[in-house]
Amino acid sequence: MAREFDHLFKLLIIGDSGVGKSCLLLRFADNTFSGSYITTIGVDFKIRTLEINGERIKLQIWDTAGQERFRTITSTYYRGTHGVIVVYDVTNGESFANVKRWLHEIEQNCDVVNKVLVGNKNDCPSRKVVVIEDAQRFANQMNIPLFETSAKENINVEEMFLTITKMVLRSKLEMKERQNVTSNETVHLKRGHKTKKKCC
Amino acid sequence: MNNEEIKSVVQEKFLSSERVTAFLCDAKVLHPEWVKTDRLLAIVEYGDEKAVFCLHTSCYPPKSFTDLSIEIVLPIDNSFKCEIDNKPSDPEAILYLNLQSRNNKFKFEIQMTSRVDSFVDDLFRGIEAVSKVPTQPEFLWLKKYNGKSEDDIIKQTMVLPRTGVAHTQGPPPVAIRESLIKRKMSDKEMDYTFTKKFSIFCGTWNVNDKSPVISLKGWLSVDREPPDIYAVGFQELDLSKETFLFDQTFREDEWYNAVISNVDPRAKYVKVERVRLVGMMLIVLIKQKHMSHVRNVICDTVGTGIMGKMGNKGGVAIRFDLHNTSMCFVNSHLAAHVEEYERRNQDFRDICNRTRFIQPNQLPKSIKDHDQIYWLGDLNYRITELDPTSVKKMINENNFAPILEWDQLRQQHKNNHVFAGYTEGHITFKPTYKYDPGTDNWDSSEKNRAPAWCDRIFWKGENITQLGYRSHPALNISDHKPVSAIFTSSIKIIDEEKYRKVYEDVIKQLDKLENELIPQVKVDVTEIDFGTVRYLELQVRSITIKNTGKLPVEFEFIKKLDESSFCKDWLIVEPYKKCICADESCEIQLKVLINKTSACKMNAGTDKLYDILVLHLYGGKDIFITVNGTYQRSCFGCSIEVLVNLGMPIREVPVGKLIELESKRDQCVSNQSTYSIPKEIWFLVDHIYLHGLKEPNLFEQPGLHSEVLQIRDWLDSGSVDPIPGSIHSVAEALLLLLESTADPIIPYNLQSVCLRASANYLQCKQIVMELPEFRKNVFLYLCEFLQEALQHSAENGLDSKTLSTLFGAIFLRDNPSQTQEPQSRINKQVIDKKKAQFVYHFLVNDHSDLIFSR
Repeated sequence: MAREFDHLFKLLIIGDSGVGKSCLLLRFADNTFSGSYITTIGVDFKIRTLEINGERIKLQIWDTAGQERFRTITSTYYRGTHGVIVVYDVTNGESFANVKRWLHEIEQNCDVVNKVLVGNKNDCPSRKVVVIEDAQRFANQMNIPLFETSAKENINVEEMFLTITKMVLRSKLEMKERQNVTSNETVHLKRGHKTKKKCC
Repeated sequence: MNNEEIKSVVQEKFLSSERVTAFLCDAKVLHPEWVKTDRLLAIVEYGDEKAVFCLHTSCYPPKSFTDLSIEIVLPIDNSFKCEIDNKPSDPEAILYLNLQSRNNKFKFEIQMTSRVDSFVDDLFRGIEAVSKVPTQPEFLWLKKYNGKSEDDIIKQTMVLPRTGVAHTQGPPPVAIRESLIKRKMSDKEMDYTFTKKFSIFCGTWNVNDKSPVISLKGWLSVDREPPDIYAVGFQELDLSKETFLFDQTFREDEWYNAVISNVDPRAKYVKVERVRLVGMMLIVLIKQKHMSHVRNVICDTVGTGIMGKMGNKGGVAIRFDLHNTSMCFVNSHLAAHVEEYERRNQDFRDICNRTRFIQPNQLPKSIKDHDQIYWLGDLNYRITELDPTSVKKMINENNFAPILEWDQLRQQHKNNHVFAGYTEGHITFKPTYKYDPGTDNWDSSEKNRAPAWCDRIFWKGENITQLGYRSHPALNISDHKPVSAIFTSSIKIIDEEKYRKVYEDVIKQLDKLENELIPQVKVDVTEIDFGTVRYLELQVRSITIKNTGKLPVEFEFIKKLDESSFCKDWLIVEPYKKCICADESCEIQLKVLINKTSACKMNAGTDKLYDILVLHLYGGKDIFITVNGTYQRSCFGCSIEVLVNLGMPIREVPVGKLIELESKRDQCVSNQSTYSIPKEIWFLVDHIYLHGLKEPNLFEQPGLHSEVLQIRDWLDSGSVDPIPGSIHSVAEALLLLLESTADPIIPYNLQSVCLRASANYLQCKQIVMELPEFRKNVFLYLCEFLQEALQHSAENGLDSKTLSTLFGAIFLRDNPSQTQEPQSRINKQVIDKKKAQFVYHFLVNDHSDLIFSR
């Protein structure tokens, strides 16, 4: 009967300072947007519950400070993360160039983890400098899904979070299945052994 | 009725020693299983102990204490918590009061009135008082209110069936969110359901112990369209003693099969449930295509017969949910005999009160907790005041109206003594009782009973229309005729798409609520710049943490991964852990003090005035606080080997150069550009030598801190002015300088040798010979100076014992990295004595040979 959730997933949002990590979280968790910029000094989180294929999933989404000087500290928060959202600003080429560093950071601090690449602030074509073709090429190369979002205009935010959640869920279910398969295989082996005996 | 009058009524509910100190009307309990009706909250005081009572009032305002019944008792003890929220949409008018005591949680919705303030004040006074009492109050006086009481006064007042009583175990915490979702979804039902008409057939027949030897088609299959639901009730299936005693009868299957085979053949029906108690049976059938939408089918039986318990009379009931509508069907056989209408009313109430549909993991439901109720049966109400002959005459003339005037059930119903809130259709059929079995003739037995409409059908609920209410006289095997009613009722059907949307909204709302409850604080500064920080000069900055959330928050500065402390050793944070109530603030002081340990690291470049602190909120976020400053390097904290290499004041030495010298201090050898001892030591010693050898209490009277700092600046800047400050300040500066050198004058690795050799001057001399060159110089230079000072002991009051103890501790400095084994006091005294003894040799003996051996 009463169940609060079937899965609890921890998601992490990383990326350069000022690319809109907190805004993405605010849009997704509270469906609000604030134009005034308050830099995140620390690590904050919000929760949101989703239902995917009848499974209730509670997301705990961690928003990290993007500033360079906090990088060593924030990297300690990667532990136990199920999915990472790497954000750049489509109007800021440098933030896109730094994505590599962030991906490296993930590699250093996490085991296997699901990732999505997010180009935020995709709401003003005249200021856009990171063209989607370049971003897509890079994402394909890294084998990471790419989303261009706007937390301000609420474009693609829900879809992006839903995708990473589905990815995490799929990974978890696949892992479970693999465990089941291995245990089944042992049973099969035993059976095979028996039939062999009969043949002889 | 004014508030004082209400208060006195509430007070009557309690003993005179239990004083009602505050109360609130219009409090609504928010609980998924409770009807959101008004409750009255009262704070009651007994001696030093207080408790919150939630009372149900049967009329408002309560006129007497019997109108009140206690539903919840929450003792205000150490576990008691009270939180107040505003309704976001209506913060001015509605308050939410969350009360928690001993794992029981309740939420009340309260109208903002002037009384709320005084009530809440009183509540918090109670909480405050408890927190000051060291022992946990016992609340023995509450025992009588806690449900299992023997107290008659209380029992009397527990009129209402108390579903979901507070003091039994509350729902597990995980269920709270679940219950909230349920409640919110039911509030918004209109938004995601549409209605569809279902036709419902209800039939009742007292079969008078007969078997189904005739077709029932003329009763069950007479409507233009086959009904969606059949609810068929029988009474007196079997009047045998065995049935009564053992509650078993073959007639059950006989009549069940008869119903099954006589329902409308144009549709396919399946059984929802059947239930029987002695002679009463209720069968509910539904069209097969609807069965997948039927859930939570439960039945119950209540006997109201002999002793008020046996099943010869009473009721049987089946409830289920069809789509999103809860339905309940009741078949009852009420008490017989013309004059017993009061008994019949009582039977009805007993069935209502005692029927309990028990579902796993849910609070039990009673009949009234359903959207639609259909009640059928042999209700046994008769015609009074009219003689049978005239009744029969009027019936023959189809003139029912005057007879119905005297129908007991109509009379009782009109006066709300029975079936209050229920509806019955207009009766256009002849009385269904009592006939000679097998005929349409009125009872011809000796009793010659008057005809009566015993067999009736009532309903309750919205959007139910009765299309037909009739009897079926052709079915004549019994002394009763069967009766049936056909209804068309609106059933709420869930629009899956809309449901999803509403459900998601509810979930989002709850998530939002949960997010709002995450601790939130505002920190006024997250970057603290201490500016220029000097050796031994304490600097203080403060930050203010304001709790901007809705709950008390506990913060703590936590360690970063792989670090042993939450901040560097030159920083002090006070307090580093504390709880802040909502809307309150806490000032935190950050103090920087560079002492000898940290100065050495700063000089060597292994540490700098920079740290990031992690301010952690329990159950919430982390905030990073950056601490920054510039350390002004000083000769204090430098190693002797570095100081002898500095031909200029330390402030003029480039930082890189100093770091380089510190890193190579082990390889330092004397050459033309090195001093034999640090010039800083020489300046200080020379000053005392020239001006202070005769100063009373030399080395014993402390200097002034401000003067020591001036002397520090004088040494570091290479001023040409005379040394500032008194002799005592200079002496103290000298001691501090010697104490703060990166390495002690006698290296740590030689200390144990020194202590072992302390009794033997020759061995001690031998050790001194082996000291690193510059440290040996400093050692001998100082000993020579101290000998000089002792020459003037008459004036300065020095003696060799005191000096050797003082300098023993400086020359043979304890290794800070070896303090893990705590030295016992005695052991430490012995060691201190040996240190003094070691130095003593060099203060009383002539050791010029050592100096000349250079």
